[in-house]
Amino acid sequence: MYKNYLKIAWRNLTRNRGYSAINIGGLALGMAVVIMIGLWVLDEFTFNTYHKNHDKIAQIYNRTKNLDTSEIESFPSTIYTMGSVIKDNYSDYFTHAIRATWVGNYVLTNDGENYTQTGQFIESEALEMLSFEMIKGAYSSLDEVNAVVLSETASVAIFGGEDPIGKSIKINNEMDAVVNGVYKDLPKNNSFANVKFFANWKLTEANEPQRFERVKTVWDDWSFQFYVQLRPEIDFETANAALKDLYFQYGPAESLEGFERRGLHPFAYPMDKWHLYSQFDAQGEPTEGRITFVWLFIAIGLFVLVLACINFMNLSTARSEKRSKEVGIRKTVGSNKQQLVFQFLSESILISGIALLFALTLVLLTIPWFNELAGKSMEIPWANPFYWASIFGATLLTGLLAGSYPALYLSSFSPIKVLKGTFKAGAYSAVPRKVLVVFQFAVSIMLAVGTVIVFNQIEFTKDRPIGYDRSNLISIQMNNPEYNGKYNLLRDDLINTGVVEDMTQSSSPLMGVYSNGGGGISWEGKDPEMTPDFGILRVTHDYGNTVGWQFLEGRDFSRDFATDSSAVIINEAAAKYMGLENPVGSFFYFGNGDRAEIIGLTKNMVMQSPYQPVKQAFFYIDYDRVDYINIKIKPEAIASDAIAQIEEVFAQVVPSAKFDYGFVDEAFGQKFESEERLGNLAGVFTLLAILISCLGLFGLASYVAEQRTKEIGVRKVLGASVLNLWQMLSKDFISLVIISCLIAIPIVYYFMSQWLQNYEYRMSISWWTFIWAVCGALLITLLTVSFQAIKAAIANPVKSLRTE
Amino acid sequence: MLINLRNIFKWVQQGGRRVFLLKDINLEVKEGDFISIMGPSGSGKSTLLNIIGMLDGFDEGEYNFLNEPVHQLKEKKRASLFKQYIGFVFQAYHLIDELTVYENLEMPLLYKKYSGSERKALVADMLDRFNIVGKKDLFPTQLSGGQQQLVGIARALIGKPKLILADEPTGNLNSKQGEEIMDLFRQLNEEGVTIIQVTHSKKNAAYGKKIIHLLDGRMEKI
Ligand SMILES: Nc1ncnc2c1ncn2[C@@H]1O[C@H](COP(=O)(O)OP(=O)(O)OP(=O)(O)O)[C@@H](O)[C@H]1O
Ligand SMILES: [Mg+2]
Repeated sequence: MYKNYLKIAWRNLTRNRGYSAINIGGLALGMAVVIMIGLWVLDEFTFNTYHKNHDKIAQIYNRTKNLDTSEIESFPSTIYTMGSVIKDNYSDYFTHAIRATWVGNYVLTNDGENYTQTGQFIESEALEMLSFEMIKGAYSSLDEVNAVVLSETASVAIFGGEDPIGKSIKINNEMDAVVNGVYKDLPKNNSFANVKFFANWKLTEANEPQRFERVKTVWDDWSFQFYVQLRPEIDFETANAALKDLYFQYGPAESLEGFERRGLHPFAYPMDKWHLYSQFDAQGEPTEGRITFVWLFIAIGLFVLVLACINFMNLSTARSEKRSKEVGIRKTVGSNKQQLVFQFLSESILISGIALLFALTLVLLTIPWFNELAGKSMEIPWANPFYWASIFGATLLTGLLAGSYPALYLSSFSPIKVLKGTFKAGAYSAVPRKVLVVFQFAVSIMLAVGTVIVFNQIEFTKDRPIGYDRSNLISIQMNNPEYNGKYNLLRDDLINTGVVEDMTQSSSPLMGVYSNGGGGISWEGKDPEMTPDFGILRVTHDYGNTVGWQFLEGRDFSRDFATDSSAVIINEAAAKYMGLENPVGSFFYFGNGDRAEIIGLTKNMVMQSPYQPVKQAFFYIDYDRVDYINIKIKPEAIASDAIAQIEEVFAQVVPSAKFDYGFVDEAFGQKFESEERLGNLAGVFTLLAILISCLGLFGLASYVAEQRTKEIGVRKVLGASVLNLWQMLSKDFISLVIISCLIAIPIVYYFMSQWLQNYEYRMSISWWTFIWAVCGALLITLLTVSFQAIKAAIANPVKSLRTE
Repeated sequence: MLINLRNIFKWVQQGGRRVFLLKDINLEVKEGDFISIMGPSGSGKSTLLNIIGMLDGFDEGEYNFLNEPVHQLKEKKRASLFKQYIGFVFQAYHLIDELTVYENLEMPLLYKKYSGSERKALVADMLDRFNIVGKKDLFPTQLSGGQQQLVGIARALIGKPKLILADEPTGNLNSKQGEEIMDLFRQLNEEGVTIIQVTHSKKNAAYGKKIIHLLDGRMEKI
């Protein structure tokens, strides 16, 4: 029986090649999209699962109330003293409690060669907590004060094939360390993937003894990170309940009032949420983040598959006349309806099986490209039986879904009607088909418009006025002690090359604000209840000239005024925040009685998320803790040439430092990377969805043309022109597409408006987007349908009539 | 009694009026009968045959098949009666183009749950009997009309039906081919198969032991 079914199914497929190609091709494309999205989603959901205890590991965050907006803010920085309290008093809750610095770029020196690597100082238990796979050494490898463990990549980069164990290296030319272990590179979908080496925490403490002496006693230096692993029997709720009052129980008496007012408390933020739930709501609770996109992609995947199934249904039912005779005969030799349903279902399952083969091949061929696009390193998990079970399950389900309607439809034919030849797929039988086409096009249009709006929003944000001139700016991190005191030397040498406009140093690169605070600052008219919070930027005198500051009022720092060493420049947002109409000339008063005059008001500089409003910030002169050198290359200079000359100057002035620079322009571009990646992915899937819908339309059009061959022939003989016929054949499809547009546009408008609400800095949706979408849809439909229509219209009528 | 039709009426609604396709048909068919139905085009011959074959329903009257009241039977039971006892032969052969002669012959057996070896044996018998062994791997389109009709009859016979219903089985054949088919029917009838055929040809009708004339849905005489 099955053999008979398969045989006839196979012969039907091979005899109607064009139809089979459209059917299988569309389904295969749809499946390939689903498999790819499946891999992508799997990769997202397995983020950080590399660590055995991922469900128990957490980072300590803090929550505090923003006294202006009353919103609760959550942030990952912690203070040293809080860490000490957890270590000393919370061992009932945590098996591991680990201090860490922020991840940063460091220059590692081996044998006189410099290598820039991303690293982190962390307490030695981290290796065990994070269950690293040690290639060399053990979890105890980081225990020595000066120990460093390298990732495999870093080890190869620095030591080549040599065994690095026991080799000494210098970190940033100031810390002597010994390589004690090598761990296997972490998978890309891991929060620590970009960290290439870990050094013992004690090394950084020993390196800056004065700083740490202070840090160990104060309760306001938020410079550190802190990780914990919960005891197996402790859940997050319990741990967080216990952490809630930490500051009040252990904090110094004089700070309690401030803690109280801001409701300051630490909490453990689970590793499993770091990646997908990275946004916090107004209550400071993790809500969404990337997970929105994960759901979005799952939805796209399902939609695409449904579109492909619809093609299958439409083409199968459209061709029902051809199959009806078989149905009639089978019924007259004794088949009942169930057997026929079963037959057609097995046929569609066979087709989806074949489509699966094509889909897998397609995925296999395109996965490198897809990885590039997604910024991941996904592969088909060949050895995972669960994966195959779900693939086959999904294929079966697809076959059933796609085959159900045609099977029921075909098997219900009455044998006398079909055999007598009075069976005609009547006008009404095309109605479900039309509904499905409308659905397909509506979905395709929604996806297309959605993607276009995502891209428009990205472009819109990119074009946002950023308050400075980022072109030709390069930035270099410099914390090499050899450089100390050489500011003027370096700057003069650089300017003397003739390719450099100016140079400055700042405490944060242009793409970030690393220091925040100012709780003790007050000004005239300040609400005494308010604890101010500013972005704080330390800069040198040449900052304004280098970055192209745009002043609204007042003036830039100047070496001509000695008093400028205690002056500040604020941005527009700060003026607003402070409630000052004319801020220039008024003063910042500090807790210790000092004051600083506000000498300038600049336009807002976008330094953090380009999607968010610019934070209030102030700038003041400091030549000490300014680790970022910013250089403006003359616009007329050739970039590569200028870089070479700048590097030469660096080699002379700070020979031990690695010249590791980045263009601010590119850094700005990177802020859009994740959005752009998602946008590109969505774009590709949308194109495929449209392609699938067009395939279906193409198939339907060819069917309609075939069905109306005789009518076309008669009309032609009676004098209809090719144009008339083309109009006649295309008109139906055009009206379907217009209906699709009418359905799709309000829906996509609603959803995209909602989506845009996520961005403080957002565009408004232009009606042009929709007009273009409608035109595009019509154009694509016409192109798809016209091929068949014209083919039918120019065919020789004598031929088509003779076939009767 | 194989078939007993009593006061069968069939009509369709057309423009709010009843249009009768069959009027008051009474017919008894015994096992071993060979009946020819004649009548002008549109007189309701095919309609009657389809009702007898349970492919079509009727609006009034009683139909007993082997003493089972067909008009009261559930669809499932009716289908199984049909499967077990009836074989259909069509004017237009109605073979499945995508299946070979062998596979076309085998198909009814698949729906009757014969084992693989039984199927093989039965199909081989039929091929033998109809002298088409050499054609078993050809597709219907590769056969002449007469050959196709032979396959059609072979297919109707393969399940060993008690009753063969044939709607103008020779309509598309030349007279020589038609004669062969009729000889075959006679032979089958002698073997005990009941046959009801619709035909336009007096000569073919004469093969039947009994001739029924239909006119405007009414039986003329028996
Ligand atoms: N579903 C239907 N609706 C309306 N009229 C029908 C229907 N089916 C059959 N008829 C009519 O019933 C009459 C009998 O049809 P039938 O096919 O039984 O004729 P026939 O005697 O077999 O003719 P022929 O010799 O041409 O095959 C015809 O007039 C036909 O038009
Ligand atoms: Mg007829």
